[in-house]
Amino acid sequence: MISWPVYRLTLRSILDGRKPLALLFLALVPVVAAIVFAAAGELDPRIFWARLLQRLVIPTVTAFVAVVLGASAIGDEREDGTILYLVSTPLPRLSLVLTKILASWTASMALLAPAVVVAGLVSLDSRADASQILWPLLGVALSALCYCAVTAWLSMLSRRPVVIGALYILLWEGSIATFAASADRFSIAAYGRAIAVEGVLDVNAPDASAATAVLVLLGAAGVAAWAATRRFTRTELP
Amino acid sequence: MSATPALVFEGVSRWYGDTVALADVSFSLGAGVTGLLGHNGAGKSTALKLCAGFTQPSSGTVRVLGTDLSASPEAYRRIGIAHDRDALWPFLTARALVALCARLRGVADPEAAAGRALAEVGLEDAADRKVKGFSHGMRQRVKLAQALAHDPELLLLDEPLNGLDPAQRRGVVSLIHRLGDEGRTVLVSSHVLHEVERMAPRVLVLVNGHLVASGSTTAIRELIADRPRSIRLVATQGRALARELVGAGLVESLRFDDDAIVVESADVERFSRDLPRLAQGVGARLSRVEPVGDDLESVYAYLHQRARGVGR
Repeated sequence: MISWPVYRLTLRSILDGRKPLALLFLALVPVVAAIVFAAAGELDPRIFWARLLQRLVIPTVTAFVAVVLGASAIGDEREDGTILYLVSTPLPRLSLVLTKILASWTASMALLAPAVVVAGLVSLDSRADASQILWPLLGVALSALCYCAVTAWLSMLSRRPVVIGALYILLWEGSIATFAASADRFSIAAYGRAIAVEGVLDVNAPDASAATAVLVLLGAAGVAAWAATRRFTRTELP
Repeated sequence: MSATPALVFEGVSRWYGDTVALADVSFSLGAGVTGLLGHNGAGKSTALKLCAGFTQPSSGTVRVLGTDLSASPEAYRRIGIAHDRDALWPFLTARALVALCARLRGVADPEAAAGRALAEVGLEDAADRKVKGFSHGMRQRVKLAQALAHDPELLLLDEPLNGLDPAQRRGVVSLIHRLGDEGRTVLVSSHVLHEVERMAPRVLVLVNGHLVASGSTTAIRELIADRPRSIRLVATQGRALARELVGAGLVESLRFDDDAIVVESADVERFSRDLPRLAQGVGARLSRVEPVGDDLESVYAYLHQRARGVGR
């Protein structure tokens, strides 16, 4: 199902430009926030860590890192025509799409996972336990996977997947879903938040149960990968 | 030579909204080199994309090596494609890029295949350099090498001579001849007639999405030579010469354009043979004899009109 030569190629391709460096700065923002504000001691460390996850790590940092890298994996190749070398091989289009999603997710996690662990340790200070780091990591991992898969689909629909992804993050998730609660049902970040705070805090997990959120994100990623493949086989390549 | 045609188009049309890129095109290709000739926008790239499975026909069927590529991508092991896009992964060396493509197409020893293919296109010295710094001509040859490395039966080459210097062109032309001689089916596109003549004994001519002529390159050349042509003459004693030309029935029409005479002749060969004698007869000195509008556009326009005339 996964083509490892294409996986390695895609990872190199993603890491070749300047985007990863720019995104590294974005990934470090929660670490800096934790260092600056957790030290101030204004809030209970667990509440601070939960808010950092809910308001910064998942909806902004994870979303933008995964959307930009997801678009790099497949959209850039479609745009410049290098995708033609991969489609003129016996690899099924589904394998190509899954490989691209896996590669962009790997690159996203390479940036996000260390940042989440360090930000968590700094925020919680001596009160950190494994579940307070692992649940957030799972939330970040699954929401990043879902963003990557949706961006793969957007890359097949449009030549501007990052713009559409950014509009979704800012307008839908960042604005409409904040005052229209039902809009959260179509918000990747909402499910990511639900998982991330599961082990951190028993309160303030309004969106869904962690188990539901895991299933929804995996299901949505699967549907997006299927839609991307379907579009890939029907769309004209450059 | 293979008995089944490697490439078959049956009533293939492709349109984009209101724009028809390819209209009811049918042909079938067996072993050997075939040129696909047409000006920019004539439908060559669309035809090649359809051959390569990069798009689907709006109507009609495309069979490649006896199969529909979208249903059986396994056939890509037997097809080599050099498309017209210039991009290559800049961080790979030429060798790594060609080997990767060979590996994905199931070659047992991709490194060796890449070495051979790069040597074929004269890039062995640059094989271990990253393609980031490659010139357009070198990129063209990398694209050719990746199309060759897995030893395909069918090659689809989109404008393979673009960006090459004369020596490289000669090398690629002889490589294409050899591929045809080895019994492979090669479809090579170009918008330059004499380029196609050098590469291919057979040609398909596309004009505005219509297949207006197909056959041996020599026959197409004769067809083109037969068309009426405008010729511009600059001579002393112009009016006397014009009278003689009309009187001898050498021209279909004639007009004066400043100090020149512009004639239309249906039989250029006879016109060229008889003109000096007629000029001598009236004491005219010819200082200039040149064809007008003898570019590919007018050749295509003529073929298109002719194709319409026979009921296409």
